[in-house]
Amino acid sequence: MRYIRLALRNMAYRPARTGLTVVGIALAVAVAVSLIGFNLGYRQSINASIDKLGFQVMLMAKGCPYEAATMMLKGGTGLLYLPSTTFDDVRNDPEIAAITPIFIGVAEKEGSGIRDDSASSFAILSGIERASFLSMKPWLAFSDTPRAAGSRWFADNAPDEVVMGYEVAEYEQRKVGDIFYVTVTPQGKTEPVSHQFKVVGILDRTGTQDDGTVFLPLSTARVIFNRPDELTIVGIKLKEFSGLRLREFEKRWAKLPEVQVVSLQQVKTTLVSLVETAQAMIAAVAVVAIVVAIIGVINTILMSVSERTGEIGIMKAIGASRGDIFQIIWYETLFICLSGGILGSVAAVLGARGVEAGLRRLIDIGTHGSIVAISPAIIAGALVGAAALGVFAGLYPAWRAASLRPIAAIREGE
Amino acid sequence: MTNHAQRYTSDPVLEAVGLRRSYRRGSETVQALRGVDLTVRPGEMVAILGPSGSGKTTLINLLSCLDAPDGGRLTIAGASVENLSEEELTGVRRGRIGYIFQKFHLLPSLNVAENVELPLLFLERPVDRVKTIEILRQVGLEDRAFHLPGELSGGQMQRVAIARALIVRPGILIADEPTGNLDRANGEAIFALFRKLIESEGLSVIVTTHNQHLGSQADRVITLEDGLITREEPGAAIRPAAGA
Repeated sequence: MRYIRLALRNMAYRPARTGLTVVGIALAVAVAVSLIGFNLGYRQSINASIDKLGFQVMLMAKGCPYEAATMMLKGGTGLLYLPSTTFDDVRNDPEIAAITPIFIGVAEKEGSGIRDDSASSFAILSGIERASFLSMKPWLAFSDTPRAAGSRWFADNAPDEVVMGYEVAEYEQRKVGDIFYVTVTPQGKTEPVSHQFKVVGILDRTGTQDDGTVFLPLSTARVIFNRPDELTIVGIKLKEFSGLRLREFEKRWAKLPEVQVVSLQQVKTTLVSLVETAQAMIAAVAVVAIVVAIIGVINTILMSVSERTGEIGIMKAIGASRGDIFQIIWYETLFICLSGGILGSVAAVLGARGVEAGLRRLIDIGTHGSIVAISPAIIAGALVGAAALGVFAGLYPAWRAASLRPIAAIREGE
Repeated sequence: MTNHAQRYTSDPVLEAVGLRRSYRRGSETVQALRGVDLTVRPGEMVAILGPSGSGKTTLINLLSCLDAPDGGRLTIAGASVENLSEEELTGVRRGRIGYIFQKFHLLPSLNVAENVELPLLFLERPVDRVKTIEILRQVGLEDRAFHLPGELSGGQMQRVAIARALIVRPGILIADEPTGNLDRANGEAIFALFRKLIESEGLSVIVTTHNQHLGSQADRVITLEDGLITREEPGAAIRPAAGA
C-alpha cells in the first residue's frame, strides 16, 4: 500500500502514455462488457418474449422451423395455415390445460402516410378468440395514455372493431375512436379489398410482438382473408410441462397431416442459434481486443520500465529492494488496467443503446425487448477481469524491473 | 581529546582490505581495482582523487554496497560485507549509507519533499513532513519543498540529493563526483555543507572528485591511479599551516 501514491504519481507524470493505454484497455473492456451484456440481454429478451406468449406449445403448419420460431415473436409474411379442424381435434387432449386458436394475416396499411424501408407498410392482423387468448395472457392491459382513454376489448364477432398494440398505435398515430384502414387481398382473389376498422382499445406496452400487432375477432379475420376454415397457430398450455410430457404430446399429434408441434423451448433454442454465429464472431473480436489490450499493456509498461531504468536504479541505490520495485511497477499496471476497466464499463453502459441499435441493424434479432442487459454482476466481473489483466500483464515488466542491478540500471538510464 | 583525535581513536565505520574488482569489456578483462585498502573513521571526510578511469567510481560503488567486490574484505559499521546477494547488500545499504550521485538523479514525478522522503518509504519508516522541512532547511532549500526537480538549478538539485541521503540519518555519506556538474561556487557550497554535516551530525563522508582544490578540503586525500591507491595525505582540514 506504501507504493500506491508513487504509482499514481508516475501515471500522472506521463499522461499521454497512461491515457492511451487506459483507453486501449477501456475499449477491450467495453467490447467484452457489451458482448456479455448482449448474451445475457438477448437470452433474457427471448425468455421474456416467449414467456409472454402465454403458451408453451404451438401447433403450426409444417414448414421452415426458423419461420415457425420467429413468426410469433417477430412477425412474418410467409404465413402457412393449418385446417381449423386441427383445433377441434386437439382441444380435448387430456393433457391440455388451456388452448387458443389464432389466425394471423398480413394486410397493407392505408392512410397512415408513413412509409419506411422495413416493410412497415404492412400490418400484422391477429384474429383471436378473446376469452381463451386473454386467459393465456392475463397481463395484457390497456394503456393509460390519453389516446387510449376509453379502451375496451372488441365484442365477439364484431366485424369492424380492432384493438391495437402500443407501438402500432403510436406509429400510426391512432387513438381510441379513430378509424384504421387496411387493404387485404383475400385468399383466391386478385383484387385487394379495403376495410376500415374502429379502434376500440390500445394496449399497454408489453415488450413483445403484441406491441406491433392489431387484434381483431378470429371470425372477422378469417372472413376478410377468406380463409374461413383455417388457422395460423394453435397455442397450448399443458397441465404438466416437461420434456417427457411434451414428447408424448408431440407423438400423439404428429399424426395430423401438415401439422408440426413446436415447443417454445425449441423456439428459444432456435432463436438463440440464429444469432449464435454472430455472437461467436463478436466473441472472437472481443477475445482479440482483450489479447491486444494485454499485449498493449505489457508493451507500454515494458517501455515505461525501459524509459525509467535509471529511476529504478536510483530507487534501488537509495534503499529499494527487489520487492519494492516489483510492487511499484505492478501497482502501476494494476491501476492502469483498473482505470481502463472502469472507463470501459462506463462506456459500455452509456453506449448500450447504440450497441443495441447496431446489433439490430447487423443481425436478425427476432425479439422486441432490450437485447443488451449490462447488470451489476457484469460490471463487477469486468472490473475483476481488468484487475486480473493488470495482475497478469504487470508480472513480467515488474519482474524485469525488479531484476535490474542498480549500478547497471543507473548507467543504462544516463 | 580533540575532534580529530577522537576520529583516529574510534572504531572505523568502514574498512576495506585488498578490494579487487574487474570487468569484462568485450574479450578483454579490465582490472578496475587491484587491491585497495581504506579505513574511514566516524566524523572523517575522505576525498578520493584520480583521473578518469582510475577506479574511483568502482571503489565508491563497492563501498556503498551497490556492487560486490571480486576479492578483498569490506566491513561496514562492524558488519562484514562478503559474498552477499544483491538483496543482502540492499539490506546493508539501507539506513546506513547515504548515496549522492554526480547527476543528482531525482525522480522527476515527485516534488522536492517527496524526493527527500523516498528512502523512508523503502525503509517503512513514517514520513514526518516537519522533519523533511528541517532537513531541507539544513541544505538551504526549505522554500523549494514543493517544487518539481525540473524547476531547480543544478546546485539546488544536488542539495536535494544530499537531503535525500540525510533523511535516513546514515552513518556514512558517499558521494560520487557530487560537484562534477556544478560550477565552482556551487561546488564550494556543497563541500562546505559536507563539513557542516560532519560537525553537526557526526557523519563520515567519502567523496570522489576531479577537483584537487575541493578534495584538499577533506580530512584525508587519497589518490587513486590505475586501480591502486598511489598517495594518501592529510587534507587542508588537518594539515598544519605552513610554518606552524
